[in-house]
Amino acid sequence: MMTERRNPTSESASPPRWVTKLLTWLADPRTLEEVHGDLLEMYGYWLQTGGKRKANRRYMLSVFKLLRPFARRTRSTDDSKIHLFSRDMIQNYFKIALRNLVKSKTFSGINVLGLALGMACSLLIMLWIKDELSIDAFHANKQQLYRIYMREYFSGKVQGVVWTPGPLAAELKKSVPEIEMTTPYEWVSSETFSLGDKIHKQQTNAASADFFKMFTYKLLQGTPAAALKDPNSLAISRSMAENFFGSPEAAIGKAIRFNNRKDLMVTAVFENIGQNSTLKFDCLRNWEGFVEDNDWAKDWGTTDPLTFFMIRNDADPAKVEAKIKHLLDKYNRDQGKPFKTQLAMQPFHEYYLNSNIKDAHMDGGRIEYVRLFSLVAVFILLIACINFMNLATARSAKRAKEVGVRKVVGAMRSMLVGQFMGEAILLTIFSIVLAVLMVALVIPSFNVLTEKQITLPLYQPSFWGILAGLLLVTGFVAGSYPAFFLSSLNPVRILKGAFKLDTKSTWLRQGLVVFQFGLSIILIVGMIIIYQQVDFVQHKNLGYDRENLIYFPLEGDLSKNYEVLHAELSQVPGVKQVSHMTSSPASNGSGTEGISWTGGDPNDKVRFTPVGVGYDFVKTMNLKLVDGRDFSKTFATDSTGFLINEAALKVTGYKNPIGKPLKWGNREGRIVGVLKDFHFQSLHSSIRPLIAYLGVKEHHGNAIIRIEAGKTVETLAAIEKICKKLNPTFPFTYSFTDQEYARQYQSEQVVSKLSNYFAFLAIFISCLGLFGLATFTAEQRTKEIGVRKVLGASVGGIVGLLSKDFLKLVAIAIVIASPLAWWLMNKWLQGFAYKIEIEWWMFGLAGLLSVLIAVATVSFQSIKAALMNPVKSLRSE
Amino acid sequence: MKRTFLGEFEEVVLLTVAILGEEAYGVTVTQELEQKTGRSVGFSTVHTTLQRMEEKGLLSSKMGGATAERGGRRKRFFTVTAFGRKALTEVKQVREELWNALPPQTLQLMGG
Repeated sequence: MMTERRNPTSESASPPRWVTKLLTWLADPRTLEEVHGDLLEMYGYWLQTGGKRKANRRYMLSVFKLLRPFARRTRSTDDSKIHLFSRDMIQNYFKIALRNLVKSKTFSGINVLGLALGMACSLLIMLWIKDELSIDAFHANKQQLYRIYMREYFSGKVQGVVWTPGPLAAELKKSVPEIEMTTPYEWVSSETFSLGDKIHKQQTNAASADFFKMFTYKLLQGTPAAALKDPNSLAISRSMAENFFGSPEAAIGKAIRFNNRKDLMVTAVFENIGQNSTLKFDCLRNWEGFVEDNDWAKDWGTTDPLTFFMIRNDADPAKVEAKIKHLLDKYNRDQGKPFKTQLAMQPFHEYYLNSNIKDAHMDGGRIEYVRLFSLVAVFILLIACINFMNLATARSAKRAKEVGVRKVVGAMRSMLVGQFMGEAILLTIFSIVLAVLMVALVIPSFNVLTEKQITLPLYQPSFWGILAGLLLVTGFVAGSYPAFFLSSLNPVRILKGAFKLDTKSTWLRQGLVVFQFGLSIILIVGMIIIYQQVDFVQHKNLGYDRENLIYFPLEGDLSKNYEVLHAELSQVPGVKQVSHMTSSPASNGSGTEGISWTGGDPNDKVRFTPVGVGYDFVKTMNLKLVDGRDFSKTFATDSTGFLINEAALKVTGYKNPIGKPLKWGNREGRIVGVLKDFHFQSLHSSIRPLIAYLGVKEHHGNAIIRIEAGKTVETLAAIEKICKKLNPTFPFTYSFTDQEYARQYQSEQVVSKLSNYFAFLAIFISCLGLFGLATFTAEQRTKEIGVRKVLGASVGGIVGLLSKDFLKLVAIAIVIASPLAWWLMNKWLQGFAYKIEIEWWMFGLAGLLSVLIAVATVSFQSIKAALMNPVKSLRSE
Repeated sequence: MKRTFLGEFEEVVLLTVAILGEEAYGVTVTQELEQKTGRSVGFSTVHTTLQRMEEKGLLSSKMGGATAERGGRRKRFFTVTAFGRKALTEVKQVREELWNALPPQTLQLMGG
């Protein structure tokens, strides 16, 4: 029936076009297709049976009758929509993605490896940051806990001090109603405990009865309220309890001998303190008990302990701060001088990360490293993402045909974007699996390096959240540009074979390489400067000789029998000098403001560092005297004499200091000598005024011994023998000054090492990308190289030709990154009072390094390309 | 049970679809109707009727068979559903009952 019908092919046989248009606009979209077809067929039939005019009329009439202007499309007839996420297409995407990965193994390898390294770095840094942030977060009352610091105003200057007067804690509790609990917290010291024949040194501290009520340390025995109630109470850790008594249960209520002087009662046993606590101690004494032994702790003028307090639940911290600000005015801290010390507070949970005092505020500290490494993590991840972007766009020529064909058969841009994003995410999934494996592998060494106990938190949902986030962010950043770039290609041009990377994408790619190398150079410069600074700090001439200087605490009978000890030690062949001092030679943080001198402004308040020393102190420490002499037994008046350093001399303003009076509290004396400035604290702080007095009536602190180089072992053995003989109830412990000194820069050393690794990784990942790009360029220019060779180009010329482009980019990166690196590192160096100068050679070295590495990377490919036989490359086509 | 009401035109279209079998779509149904009944049938009327009867469940349809003469557009083929067949038989039965109820002399008068 239908085959008989004539085809309405000629122009005259088609229905009026506007009517048809009307139909497509206004007819029911659900039935449009068949109606349109049917009408066309009918038109042919009408044409045959009634002629053109009649056919036109009937056609028009039917169309008008079939207009359904308000009909909505309910049944989807748009096929492209259906197929976008159909199973077949997704299967196809996966198949193509995997085939592409396998086909170009080098590029996939570079991409996966680069992304995996970048993500492993970021993951590691994230874990580290998470750990840093978790410190001190376990205290249940952490929102109410604060610590006090003081702002001292004098001569128009202000200085922040974290050390507080001993009686402050009790006073705060008494006079501020919002403050519920307070505790002083001394500096941890190593004390000797004994029980029967068991003698151990334990890290000991002192705190008030409120301590365990304020801080959440788990008590195995005893109650928080009763833990430190009496002056002879002692709270000990589980391991200390096990050491002395066998178990926490056995320890409670027992007496233990403290420094062979008095018995303390174990009133609580707490769980060993973990890495996540800033406050670390093996045992805590009751504060009143501590004060009994340390008279100065009653004094408002001496500052030593930290003070913590807890405000009431409903108290407003701002009001509390206002109330405590002038609290100290009541007390005669400065012996008649006008009072200018104000109190301020810092939330306890900020203490760990913000422990530096700048001017008069708590600002900076480890938080700077947290920020620094967050930045590094982002940098490295970005470098890895750029690799991906670069390689994907550079190689877009290979995928262009596929894009063309897909577009021709009806792929929409959104589908292609989806496809390429999907591929990026697929690759990221491979990389993240690899990254997690890498992290699991290096985490033990990372823990050793950073002295942490980080584990992969595989059982925490938040970790998987982080992974998913990292996956999406990386996949998106890495995949977005290639996806949008590739999907924007014009199918007609591609399929005609006229496809060429336009200059815009080349520019972008080169820009990305510059960016990548810029980041690497910043990291290398950072590495060099941090290394130099750490090296500088460790080898700086401190003004005293810290090599071959050992010290050990004068405790138990050693203090009483110092003269005997001194005499016997002097007999030991390897010992050159023996003296003693109240602090450690490597670090002396104590301070006093009670020093006055003639002509001194009573309003001025200067913090001196006091130190009690023995005879021969200058000689033993190997200090230089600028003026005067060391303490000497031949002058009886030296018992009230003082040695000061140059900084102190400057403060007092004495012209001829020798013999001039100084007054420290009630102790009046004259200056016998001026010491050349030396560093008795870490190089983070500048040299403060020092006042040394002769402490020979009571020998506190440490014995310091200068020993001969190269005889350390036998000398130490001899010293130990003497100490054991004189002081049998105490274990012999000693320290090397240089090691103790280096310990102050532990975090800098860790940062130095980490920055080495990260800089290396950054440059490595960048080079992976560069290697990929070079490979690709060489591949693309095979024919050109062939022609050049045929025409007589030398291998060297071709290598130069291929390398030049990349070197240009690296050079630009150096120019751009150097000022940035200078700025960043200058900021870091501000944290040191004594620091290296940033010099041009550091940038030169970083630049040279990156150029060399880039050349090595690129030349591998360019030499390979240059050596290729032109016959081979030109044979085809 | 409520009887399905079939209009006269509906009945004719439904029958035509049944007659055409596999080949029933808008065009063939219109042409067949014109040829069988000899009256001019509007395509739009047929199309609307077919749509309506599909909605009522008397017909079912599926797309298929694109040909060049329709500009590559597919046809919507209709088939009578079981419900449609039932409706047709019922109509027929009613008619037959009515015919049977007609007295013989009247039938003769009508020239049967």
